[in-house]
Amino acid sequence: MTDPVILLQILWTGIAMSSYFVLFTVAFALTLKVEKLWNFAQAGLMGIAFYTLYWALNFGKWPVWAGVLASLVLTGAATFILEVWAIDVLRRRRSSSLIFFIFTLIFAQFMAFLLTMLFGTEPETIFPSVMSPVRIVGGVAVSDWDLQAVGLTTGLLLVLYLLIRFTRDGQFMLAVADNGKLAEIYGISAMRAYLLSGLISAVLIVAGIWLYGTRAGVTPDVPTNLILTAVIATLIGGLGRVFMAAMAAVGLALLQSFSILFIASKWQGLLLYAVLFFALLVFPRGIPVWRRRIKAPPPQKAEVAEAGA
Amino acid sequence: MSAKLSRRVVLAAPAVLWASRAFAQQTPFRFGSLMPTTGPEAGYGLDFVKTYEMAVKDINDKGGIAGKPLEMIVLDTQAKPELAINAANRLIDVDKVAVLMTAWSSVVKAVAPIANRTATLELNMGANSPDIAELGEYVYSVFPLAEVDVTALANYTKQKLGKSKAAVVYINNDTGIGGAKIYRDVFTKAGGQVVAFEAYDPKATDFTGVLLKARVGNPDVVHIHGLSELPQVIAQMRQLGMPQQVTSYSAGYNPKLLSQLGKAAEGLIVTSLAPTSSTNPNVSKLLDLWKQVGRAPNGLPYLQYAWDSTLVVADLFAWVDKNKLPITGANLKKALLEIRTFDLPMTGKLVIGDDHRVQKPVYLYVVKDGEFTLLETIA
Repeated sequence: MTDPVILLQILWTGIAMSSYFVLFTVAFALTLKVEKLWNFAQAGLMGIAFYTLYWALNFGKWPVWAGVLASLVLTGAATFILEVWAIDVLRRRRSSSLIFFIFTLIFAQFMAFLLTMLFGTEPETIFPSVMSPVRIVGGVAVSDWDLQAVGLTTGLLLVLYLLIRFTRDGQFMLAVADNGKLAEIYGISAMRAYLLSGLISAVLIVAGIWLYGTRAGVTPDVPTNLILTAVIATLIGGLGRVFMAAMAAVGLALLQSFSILFIASKWQGLLLYAVLFFALLVFPRGIPVWRRRIKAPPPQKAEVAEAGA
Repeated sequence: MSAKLSRRVVLAAPAVLWASRAFAQQTPFRFGSLMPTTGPEAGYGLDFVKTYEMAVKDINDKGGIAGKPLEMIVLDTQAKPELAINAANRLIDVDKVAVLMTAWSSVVKAVAPIANRTATLELNMGANSPDIAELGEYVYSVFPLAEVDVTALANYTKQKLGKSKAAVVYINNDTGIGGAKIYRDVFTKAGGQVVAFEAYDPKATDFTGVLLKARVGNPDVVHIHGLSELPQVIAQMRQLGMPQQVTSYSAGYNPKLLSQLGKAAEGLIVTSLAPTSSTNPNVSKLLDLWKQVGRAPNGLPYLQYAWDSTLVVADLFAWVDKNKLPITGANLKKALLEIRTFDLPMTGKLVIGDDHRVQKPVYLYVVKDGEFTLLETIA
């Protein structure tokens, strides 16, 4: 198992497999950062996104672009409705964070039951075939799905970074995330920032479920398992650190993949929770990141004199 | 003539109506069925239930059992032991059934203590974990356990296909563990070498690690003992550039697997424990009934057992009724052991062994040109 080709294969497949975890984690972490909301309703949104794609491509026989567009529109619309007619209502009532938590959890379960009634419980994939063409690069098997997963995830994260860093709406989102009330005093619409973060999350969710559903079977209760991984990565990455959460998701996927070198494969699932358990005890605020300290300039003489007086 | 016929029909109609109402009003012979009608295994479970319903209707259309109708009560297990325990208790305590049909190894095992404690006959009609035969005095199988088909498959792989190094990859539950151990032991005993023996989590979607461990051993054949995730395991295996021969057991005999894998399914060898319509014309009747449903059934061989196990239950009730005994689990068990040999339309002769096992011929199929083609019959 220590053959470099095997190690490279584990590394590559682990990175590719982490793609949808990264997208779900960033969606979850972004909403948590901007809205301060543990949004488990995103599991329900994953269900909407998947079954729209599944229905459009398998029953509607729509072209792929139309299916993806329909999924984006429906998931985005569900996000909008949730935000305006549910979460904002709770916010205006000054509901406790527990109420928000319970509401989003109930929404996710409601969607799981509704989708079960509509589509049944048999595992379904977006396309009838789960096969993807493969090429061998330096002994490592690289499938089209792997390339698509890595490319799509990297591209979306880059766009998100640019949006946050260089657009006014992105900056406003950060301002609301830092202090919503202060941001509103400066004329920034908190609601607009909430909606934007929700809609960005919806796009990430559609992309993530696309990747997941083209590779593995989805049942209405699968999103609940997926959101748990996103929560674990968010906790390990540190609350409010979106891109660190993404890194944590990659790290967790790689840890699971490489763990086969040391433990039996059947223990891989347990490993995730063991890491969370450890991280919560040792790093309750997430894994610490090294940051260069900027030294404050030495105080001017006048300031020293004032302080002395 | 037509007027006479019409008069006869008119005169006979109330009598027929009265007779059918009287039949329906008779106290029915009830049996319970614990199946996954929701959850990931529902694809099979719902088709089991549908086939039971077809068989019950067929029996009742022919006059029922000694003039009384047969009735089935189905409860959902999601193939989960904890749900199965609740459902079994309800069937026994509330619905007062004396015989339960079960499938899925973990469910059969979970229900067994309840069946033994309450003296309720539990008939396993689809699970194949080998230790099911040792679950107690009230648990019997009408379906061959894994040692039947997996033994035949492992021997065939070694002796006929000439494969000497096997990797065994299996789902980490009762079905997978039991079947995989038999394959490993039989293949080794036949002179082969098992180079990898790896389990994966039942909720896993990435099987890369397990498959890479298998690849390292450079096997000639990979035996995968899984459930509904089987197509994904094979797909990922092919995408990792592993061209080896793949074998599986009867769970692989599923049309959905062919559509999910396409050409990657070619060469896959699976087992079946029931004959096809080409060798048994009775199977056509079941297929005709499924045509009315409008789709191909999942796991046809299992459905043949579902049909036949309903007939077994009907025969048990008939025996108890004929001997004027009360309908209890103990009497139904007595009937099972007294009758012992059942001549069944879909799967052929069934002999209940003292060891709680049954023996059946094994049919090996290979995927060829996108279809399951009979490769060999091992009696």
